[in-house]
Amino acid sequence: MAQILIVDDSSTVRNEVGDFLKSNGLDIVTAVDGRDGLDKLKADSSIKLVVSDVNMPNMDGLTMAEKIRSELGNSTVNIIMLTTESSPIMKERGKAAGIKGWIVKPFSGESVLGTFKKLVGV
Amino acid sequence: MNDNARLVSKVLVLDSNKEYFDRIKSFCDNNNLVGLKALEDNVMVILKSNVDLGAILLSENYRGDVCGGIALAREIRDIRPELPIFLRREHDESLADLPEKEQKMFCAAYTINNISNLKAVFDKSIFSLVYPNVLVRGITEITLSALKSQFKDVEVSTESPPYIVRDRIIYGEVFSLIPLESSWCRGYMMLQTEEDSMLDMVKMEKTHMKVDGANFRHLDHVIGEVTNLIWGSFKNRFISDVEKYDHFNTQVPILVNHKHKYISFGSEDPQLCFKYKLTDTQDSSKSPLIVYQRFIFNLNWSPSDFKEIQASVEELVESGELEMF
Repeated sequence: MAQILIVDDSSTVRNEVGDFLKSNGLDIVTAVDGRDGLDKLKADSSIKLVVSDVNMPNMDGLTMAEKIRSELGNSTVNIIMLTTESSPIMKERGKAAGIKGWIVKPFSGESVLGTFKKLVGV
Repeated sequence: MNDNARLVSKVLVLDSNKEYFDRIKSFCDNNNLVGLKALEDNVMVILKSNVDLGAILLSENYRGDVCGGIALAREIRDIRPELPIFLRREHDESLADLPEKEQKMFCAAYTINNISNLKAVFDKSIFSLVYPNVLVRGITEITLSALKSQFKDVEVSTESPPYIVRDRIIYGEVFSLIPLESSWCRGYMMLQTEEDSMLDMVKMEKTHMKVDGANFRHLDHVIGEVTNLIWGSFKNRFISDVEKYDHFNTQVPILVNHKHKYISFGSEDPQLCFKYKLTDTQDSSKSPLIVYQRFIFNLNWSPSDFKEIQASVEELVESGELEMF
């Protein structure tokens, strides 16, 4: 039972974001790429928010977001991209896939904590 | 107004004549060259360890032997063929009297009285590529920020200004490589560092890694994320969507020789090199972690088309902040 799924191929990012969220009372689960993210989301219906990187091996974050909506038929989970990318074209593609927001790395926990809590309903 | 960056290049000066050495040093100081002197017994050790040289200034009668410089040049060509060698001769600034095989070892010859003629040769062989000041300053800012975000309790500094290198030797044991693609540049960024120093950082919990028994594989994530952060920021700051070259797929093989710790990108052009130092602020006895960053624009370099992306204030979203849709 987790509230937030963190999807990133870098374990330093998974640790950094995960430790911050756990220290603020949030339950997390992690995935190493988009394919793994889809599997984790399929297996845990309690996940309310997906925080995902864009550039990952096997399956990128935007493709994963599109598949969450189309293949999993999950239109309710909130998706936020945490990435070094800030391309308007990519953001447009993300919007079309129904993602909720975009954060350009490096991650600054304090500035997003309130929104994350709101999105998971605490 | 000249908005190209002022860069330097490190030059190894191998000249036994004390008076001439001072004049050569003075030439270097006036032409953006950092002259490094090597003890005669130490030359090959330095050449095997120094990875950021631009050229070698060698005297023909090095070590007091009439042909000492020629013999040493042969040894240097064996281990560092990419470094241009400039031969100082006593009377003749030509190489014509040397056998053809020996002529090929040198980029040019000079006498001490005409050393100023070398400036044009250096401009052509070392400073042949110009780099916009905005780009060089931006790379430094982006990289310092990326390093600071991934390492805790360290002071991060850079050797300034960055310099031009001709050698192809890999520093340390760990390096990352990522392509940079745009209408004005095509090539790679490479980060190089030493395994032991970086592993110490992981073990001392100065990175975001938390592992028992950290080993070399754990470094992938640290250097990988630093590379990723720099790459992303570079694209955001210097490459707009319209400048992205998704359709451009020309490539050349990249060759690595593990025995010689040598990497070639197929281009003879000099490379842009930055050096960063991460010093432990809690334990000054620790050796700093050195990170070399190189840019190799081997597929295209058109600095006249370069421009920094100017985002409007409304469009600008700071790093780390959430932009809600």
